Amino acid sequence: MAIKKFETMKNPEPIKGDKRYGDLYKPGGKVRKRREWRGVGDTLYDYWRWLGILMTLGKFAVVPRNVKAMFRYRWMANYLAVPMMVDRFTQGLRGEYLRMAHEQQDLIIIDVAKLLGNIFRGDRRIGNDEEFSKINVLVDENEMTAVMMGFPNLKSTSRETPSTYVSVLLNQHAAEHYIDVAQEFGLAGDVCPMPEAEAGVSIDDDAPVLGACAIQCNTTCDGSLLGNGVISRRLEKEDGIPVFQLPAPLRHKEDDVQEYAAEEIRRAIKFIEEHTGHKWDWDYYFECARRVNYATKCRNEWLDMNKTDYPQVFGGNLALYTETNYMAICGKVPEFERCDRRLMKLAEKAYKKQKMAAPEYRHRAIVWGVQSHFYMDFLVWLLNCWGIVPLTDMLSCINTEMIAETDTPENREQAYYDMAMLTEEMIMRNRTHGGYKVLLDDLFEFVEEYNADMIILWEHITCKALDGMHGLFEDRARERGIPLIWVDHQLFDPRVISRQGVRDQVNQYMRTVMQEEPLDPTLEILDDDNSW
Amino acid sequence: MNKIAKFFLYLLLTCSGLFVVTFTIYILNLDMKMTSMIEPFLLRHYDRIDRDQHL
Repeated sequence: MAIKKFETMKNPEPIKGDKRYGDLYKPGGKVRKRREWRGVGDTLYDYWRWLGILMTLGKFAVVPRNVKAMFRYRWMANYLAVPMMVDRFTQGLRGEYLRMAHEQQDLIIIDVAKLLGNIFRGDRRIGNDEEFSKINVLVDENEMTAVMMGFPNLKSTSRETPSTYVSVLLNQHAAEHYIDVAQEFGLAGDVCPMPEAEAGVSIDDDAPVLGACAIQCNTTCDGSLLGNGVISRRLEKEDGIPVFQLPAPLRHKEDDVQEYAAEEIRRAIKFIEEHTGHKWDWDYYFECARRVNYATKCRNEWLDMNKTDYPQVFGGNLALYTETNYMAICGKVPEFERCDRRLMKLAEKAYKKQKMAAPEYRHRAIVWGVQSHFYMDFLVWLLNCWGIVPLTDMLSCINTEMIAETDTPENREQAYYDMAMLTEEMIMRNRTHGGYKVLLDDLFEFVEEYNADMIILWEHITCKALDGMHGLFEDRARERGIPLIWVDHQLFDPRVISRQGVRDQVNQYMRTVMQEEPLDPTLEILDDDNSW
Repeated sequence: MNKIAKFFLYLLLTCSGLFVVTFTIYILNLDMKMTSMIEPFLLRHYDRIDRDQHL
């Protein structure tokens, strides 16, 4: 079959300011030589947003217990790199794209700062506010927080989100210490480094201690069960924090598991009520459900835009924002709804003007598989270096259905099924589990829907769920004539495959198979092994 | 010059000065250069903390 090729689109508007982004890197350095020049208007806008981020960090740093926490928890050192994370995710962006990226990134920063502030307030080692600690329900990092949608006065608090998940976004080397600690204590080295690092934080006595109770979930895989086992042992036996195991069915597309899944949600809610003394509030639940539906509606519309010649909301920012909004927020924070509205306005404005985010669009790609977390801004690199537009990624291909949002007796029953569905179809697990239909068939349906001419397939080398399908992906791509680029990585550990190792796999494919030259050759090889 | 005009002049000069200083920090990435120098000290400090390491 002939290879499918998208016709190159040239941007009629010149990109203002810097065009050779690789020149900003200092070889072997931790940080860049200088910030990007984006033309006067966009540079001033970025500067203004940078001041806003410093204000957020400043407000966080003036609270004495937060400073105390900075000197207690090793993972807090990674938060020195917050402004650089935003620089990485906004590289090469101008106009509406820069504004959308800041809307997403800056809100996530504010939300994580609030989460950290809450954690340290309740933490027995730091703030030790016992009354406040009692209104916190601990949840996993990769856990849908739908069961908290009916508790307006409780906080769903994930210790793993700031200690490992966000830390690795900030600093590629953040999890290495904890992975080593876990392995020193005999945990296998060939499991997913994400739950392994989370277990390592607990083993290293580096997890804050707070909360009335905890809900652990089997998202996303058997590796997370391993990590949860280690963490729950310490929580229950030493810290006296009771833990509920919420086992969401892995065969989430099957009708015969849904009743069981809904029953588990009921049991989890009952457990929270028993241990916190707070009662489920249906008014608040349906208020959150309306916000969840609005977020779903916006995401569906953005993805529809991405099926056209002028995609608007895409790349690493879409993945990160979707993950935060869908999983951690789940309708509970009104500010995310306001942000969705602003994003929609910007996206529609850019779409009407037929704006493009790079000088050229050479390929339209679906990014699939579990992304390299230490290099999540790789999608920006794909666009800037090779003109490959990452139309959507596996993390953003989540629930598209509306849930019940009006309070009726029938909908109160339906709500348990809706919460079960949201939990079962949590980001990543909705594709890595549930059979080849959701992982393999759906990918090639998306290729057709989005008029894509390329697949970037992350291969997380210790993710058994995905690696078993390697040959089937290749066969299907060959049948359809779609160039498929494998990109190996180990999620949290750049010592196994470095960022340049990730880039090299694309560089080699583009030069040898596609016979193309990079759009920005300065980005092809970067000495960023020591970089945050 | 009356007092109000003086006040606005000082305000303008102060704001301009602040802008020049902060914009220089921003564009030359001085904030990140400085925090990257702090990190090694913090890591050495964390290594010295006694921890109850166990499964």
